[in-house]
Amino acid sequence: MEILPFLSSIIGMLVFSFLFTTIFLQAVDSIERFTRSRALGVFLIISFTIMVGVTFMGSFISNLGSQIKLFTQKIQRDDFTTSIENLSISIKNSLPDSVANMIPESEKIILLAKNSLVGIFQSVLSLLGSAGSLFFISFMVLIFTIILLIEYHDFKRSLVKFVPNKYLEVGLRMIYNIELQISKYLRGQILAASSVAILSIIGLFILNQLGANITLIVFIGIIAGLANLIPMVGPFIGMIPAILIALMNNVGSEVAFNHQVFGTIPSPFYILDIIIMFIVVQQIDNNFITPLVVGESVGLHPMAVMLVLLIGGTLIGPLGMLFAIPVAGVLKVVITEVVFITKNSHLL
Amino acid sequence: MKAIYTNYFKKKDNIDPVLKALENVPIFEHLTEKELSEIARLTHERTYKKDEHVFKKQAPAEGMYVILDGGVEIFDPDSETIFATLKSGDFFGELALLDEEPRSAAAIATLPARLIGFFRTDLLTLIKRSPELGNKVLLNLSRVLGERLRKTNQELARPTQ
Repeated sequence: MEILPFLSSIIGMLVFSFLFTTIFLQAVDSIERFTRSRALGVFLIISFTIMVGVTFMGSFISNLGSQIKLFTQKIQRDDFTTSIENLSISIKNSLPDSVANMIPESEKIILLAKNSLVGIFQSVLSLLGSAGSLFFISFMVLIFTIILLIEYHDFKRSLVKFVPNKYLEVGLRMIYNIELQISKYLRGQILAASSVAILSIIGLFILNQLGANITLIVFIGIIAGLANLIPMVGPFIGMIPAILIALMNNVGSEVAFNHQVFGTIPSPFYILDIIIMFIVVQQIDNNFITPLVVGESVGLHPMAVMLVLLIGGTLIGPLGMLFAIPVAGVLKVVITEVVFITKNSHLL
Repeated sequence: MKAIYTNYFKKKDNIDPVLKALENVPIFEHLTEKELSEIARLTHERTYKKDEHVFKKQAPAEGMYVILDGGVEIFDPDSETIFATLKSGDFFGELALLDEEPRSAAAIATLPARLIGFFRTDLLTLIKRSPELGNKVLLNLSRVLGERLRKTNQELARPTQ
């Protein structure tokens, strides 16, 4: 029974390779038109993607590293403890007595903060430890993707060989509709994610002009865009890095702590500003950009979207949520075709 | 000298039976050997037993078939009229490459048959991947349909006896 986890990781690799294949297929097909060589098209697309990915990850890691270093220095300074103490006192003063009594002593807060930070760093370290196996997995996914991209149309053709004569024509139509559904969904999602990323970067830039002191805004924007791929929960996940960075950068600053939105509502460390900014971005995306670029996506009822998200999340976790909607879209196509086939079985 | 000529300069006959069959279909007329093999890579080779339906009347239609070997009969099961008896090298069902209407007649293998299927989704893929070749095929297809329309018009114009 030891073979099961091994198999599941291979299936995972294949799923990711298939996903990348679907993302790049259109681009490879279009390049093939001009170069007359599919292999060259695949080479160009893959090398461009790797270059962009490596540049992004490289600068992200080095930027995040310097950010963490700065923050660690900040914590180690003595005034960090006093600033936390001041913070807890000022919070206590601003609250009614009954609530204030429930807040633990400042020493406890400092201990808690330090412990949780140690925890975060440890998990970052263990993540780096698993980078080795991550490298292997990425390499295998890359190889599978290249093979699938080059052989895609031949591969599909050999798959059709197994369809019985009776179901040949409906089978072909089903494969075509599934492809169409997936590529339509992916294209829409990629466009929507890019628009959220760009809008978030603009929003964060504006907040910085107002004094929010948020660094790494490009990366935060891209993370928000990627998180947006998960419907409903994604936008909230997207806010977290921005809020964390704002907290890290502004701890100890009296001005940031006393900041108020529109000069009336208290918004310590610009947290409320950030939340409002992301909600505005979401509204622009949902009401103007997504309807424009995505059009009719997979055509699932909102209730069905929620249900499949819950099922995906419960079964596989965040990755399950990411894949839930396209899988449901594909299932919808398959069910529609199967219903058609059973209804018209006398014709086949 | 002759050996060199035949080996290197004389155009070789198509050994691949699929290429040879496609070459004789008017829809793939005037295509180079390279273009033909590009199309052959998109087609599906299928085998049918004697008396097996290739498609039934009113079935959803997706594309055309070229007979590699064997025999196929096109007929209307309702009126029991036989429209055509086709043999190796003939093709049928090409209208389905363009429209999505159900089949207007049934096709049945009268002998064990090997057919090459070329379907609408293959044509769409061809147009996407290689628009120039896709256009050639579309133009040929329109010519075949145009010729057939002209023939029908002539038939209709002929005074009834």
